[in-house]
Amino acid sequence: MYINWALQQINLKIVYYGPGVSGKTTNLLYIHSKVAPELKGELVSLQTQEDRTIFFDFLQLEVGKIKGKKPKFNLYTVPGQVYYAYSRKVILNGVDGVVFVADSQFDRLEANLETLNDLENNLKQDGHKMDEFPWVIQYNKRDLPNVAPIPYLQLKLNKYNVPYFEAVANKGIGVFETLKAVINLVVANVRKKL
Amino acid sequence: MPKKIDGSKITILSSEQYEAVKKCLGELYSKTKANAVLFADIAGQLIGERGDTSHINTTVLAALAAADFSATAEMAKLVGEEARFKLLFHEGEKNNVYLTNVGDEYFLIIIFQSNVALGMVRVYTKKAVEALDKIIKEGGSSKTVTDIIDDDFGELLANELDSSFKE
Repeated sequence: MYINWALQQINLKIVYYGPGVSGKTTNLLYIHSKVAPELKGELVSLQTQEDRTIFFDFLQLEVGKIKGKKPKFNLYTVPGQVYYAYSRKVILNGVDGVVFVADSQFDRLEANLETLNDLENNLKQDGHKMDEFPWVIQYNKRDLPNVAPIPYLQLKLNKYNVPYFEAVANKGIGVFETLKAVINLVVANVRKKL
Repeated sequence: MPKKIDGSKITILSSEQYEAVKKCLGELYSKTKANAVLFADIAGQLIGERGDTSHINTTVLAALAAADFSATAEMAKLVGEEARFKLLFHEGEKNNVYLTNVGDEYFLIIIFQSNVALGMVRVYTKKAVEALDKIIKEGGSSKTVTDIIDDDFGELLANELDSSFKE
């Protein structure tokens, strides 16, 4: 979190993390398509020709002033593929909150677990603790036929009991709910630790 | 300055520090004859800028440059360099971009035309880096995070998010 007192600006960095093709970029695309033009910046995507994120996506959002203060949210995604481990670490620099976008399909459980483990290791290296750090889980692709039931996913992925949301990101279901939750959690966390 | 709360850093730049940063960037801008000079943190958040940035999306530039800078820091580790690389230079046909770190948490971006002498940019940038490092380390804000994020801030923000972000 970076606060510029002179400009009354509060900057937060939120990172969407998760295995390949779980829908991280889709979350940002939906947000970008729905937010009023005066509140959003350009959506930057560093992608391969196959539309896979190679480094990150970036989108800056604002909301109206709050008691004269201007909150700004810098949203990033990380590339999901295993071999982009270093890129993921780089994007986590200075992160304030994380959305873990899990792929709800049964056959992606291993990939979810592997990426979650990778997130935990990276955050630990930066001095964060998973049980105190502000993060939420989004169980995406709930409209697909071969998805695991929520209690099962909760058991496997949510051992820290963080807030979770069901989503169908390409239809916008659960997208804003997830974003609002992580932002509120970041702010609540700051207050809690004082 | 950076205050640690549960591993999360909260950086508060005071008005005095911000003015000092702007002054320093202004001097660097005029001395190097750069097109633009930007100062950002390694999280990719733009802190200050000087010069003609009307046609540049500086928010995005800062985010990209931070990633660029952090990526080369990892590269440095992989090749066995103990400290991070101190500078990055991107050479174009018309424009060059020069990146250099300011302490561990910040960096400068200098955009200048290819006919400007790199040596001059290096010399003045080195001085600016020392000045900025001092401003950041010694400035220290008397404000705390509670001055900004007070009791009802969370609730007001939640309401604002609800009205701005609708499904």
